Amino acid sequence: METGKVVVEKIGGKSTVIRCFSKYPLKIIIPNKVGSSQTDAVWIYTITYGGGIVSGDSISCYISVGESCTAVLTTQSSTKVYKSVGSKCSEQILEATVGRDALLVIIPDPVTCFSTAKYSQMQIFKVFHESSLLIVDWITSGRHERGEKWDFSLYKSTNRIFLEGNEPLFLDTILLEEGSQGSISERLQDYQVIAMIVLWGPKLKLIQNQIQEDVKKMMSEQFRIPSINSGHFAKAHSDHCLSKPNFIASCSVFGPKGIGVVVRIASMTTESVYKFLQHQLASMEPVLGVSPYF
Amino acid sequence: MWNLLRLHNYEIHIAQGLHLQMMDEERNDSDDKSLSSDSCRLWSQWQLLDSVLPTGGFAHSCGLESAMQACLVFGPEDLRKYVVHVLENTGSLLLPFVHAANMSPDLQTWQKIDRLLDATLTNEVSRKASIAQGSALMRVAAAVFSEIPSIKMMRDTSLGSSMVSLHHAPIFGLICGLLGFDGETSQRAYMFITMRDVISAATRLNLVGPLGAAVLQHHVGPIAEDLSKKWMNRDVEEACQTCPLLDTVQGCHGYLFSRLFCS
Repeated sequence: METGKVVVEKIGGKSTVIRCFSKYPLKIIIPNKVGSSQTDAVWIYTITYGGGIVSGDSISCYISVGESCTAVLTTQSSTKVYKSVGSKCSEQILEATVGRDALLVIIPDPVTCFSTAKYSQMQIFKVFHESSLLIVDWITSGRHERGEKWDFSLYKSTNRIFLEGNEPLFLDTILLEEGSQGSISERLQDYQVIAMIVLWGPKLKLIQNQIQEDVKKMMSEQFRIPSINSGHFAKAHSDHCLSKPNFIASCSVFGPKGIGVVVRIASMTTESVYKFLQHQLASMEPVLGVSPYF
Repeated sequence: MWNLLRLHNYEIHIAQGLHLQMMDEERNDSDDKSLSSDSCRLWSQWQLLDSVLPTGGFAHSCGLESAMQACLVFGPEDLRKYVVHVLENTGSLLLPFVHAANMSPDLQTWQKIDRLLDATLTNEVSRKASIAQGSALMRVAAAVFSEIPSIKMMRDTSLGSSMVSLHHAPIFGLICGLLGFDGETSQRAYMFITMRDVISAATRLNLVGPLGAAVLQHHVGPIAEDLSKKWMNRDVEEACQTCPLLDTVQGCHGYLFSRLFCS
């Protein structure tokens, strides 16, 4: 049983919400005045009662973006996942279809799991070659000020994109779980944020090119370290006044003829990821009405 | 009369004894035959896991070179942790594909699993590495294990086809199955060759000497066993990555100014 549904179609030349439904624990708000009246984009805010996801909550939402429409799905603030009670797992499921020449932009604030939380999310997208899709999916280590760094029990995020019905284009699941071989925090070292940006479709081509160029330039500077030839660890360590980069990003292409792009980020601060997203997505302002993550 | 009975029983006893002896000999013969074919298979299995088999595994560092240049791996303790993380990620992401191909070593299933893995390896660096190693393994196996014609047949059908990328994990599972490895051993073997390759890369990157590498490999063995048991026999639907930092860093391999390895 769905907890939310939004259908966007072109009515009178404008992207219009023709169906909107939500029920506890999900609330959907569709403000009218985001951006100027010239921009043709529907902004959809998903809100949780109480500002977070409570243990055992199950939220499922379906979004349909009709041909040539533009829709933005976002949050008011970071999604907090509260501690698990009785080992229950909370879950969010999103299913979206994006029509031809349409654009769906998913730009939430990050997920923050509190100590002992258990959270699983699944996002499934059905697109066409001519559809455009931007997905930002990210998580922070928790309430760092309280010393909660990767202190949750389980975080699982699945993103699947299917082309023209059934062809698997992008199948990714990240699982962070306390295991027998070291803690989550050991696997992530000093990095407090893990983020992923997926870009697909003709309307995102320019951003794809720019992001790939920017990341390559940024990272090449970080890695301009000669490989250790001596094999003497003490010597190498003292020679290295350079330390781990605060921000690591890499781009990969995916899909037929490599027309999709996925960016993976590991960062020591949340602010630097916000800045990166602001900068890279700024060019979407004319299309969306407002610059994402401003 | 009694003596005749005793003689009669003695004869029966002899006849029974001879019969049992004949059965024993037959059993030993078929035991010998199966033992001998088992032993022959062992030689092929060892050859598959030997790093001397020219499958190009030495060209890949599993992201280690990139991690080193990002100062994430410095000394022996970092290296040990890195190897364990690679094994965990290999288990969670790739074992299901080894398993699936191993269970159904037919053309259609293999091609379907290969396509799924292509969509799952979203990291371009590891995707290309998988294709390079898979193609090499397929080519070598078709030539070396010529007594198994299906390998060559599957390879010939797939060459030049855009439907198949020749990814490493499914091909490895497939060949293990055809060489007589059972499912669990095939998956364990995949973890083994991954561990072998990353530790070998570590020696060439001068992170550890050859003896230290051998000691490390032996110490990680029990951990590799635990991880194999944890992640084996799962469905491809469940494939996931458990070390996103490793994935991000490996994806940077193309930005390295100077590099020894392809990935």
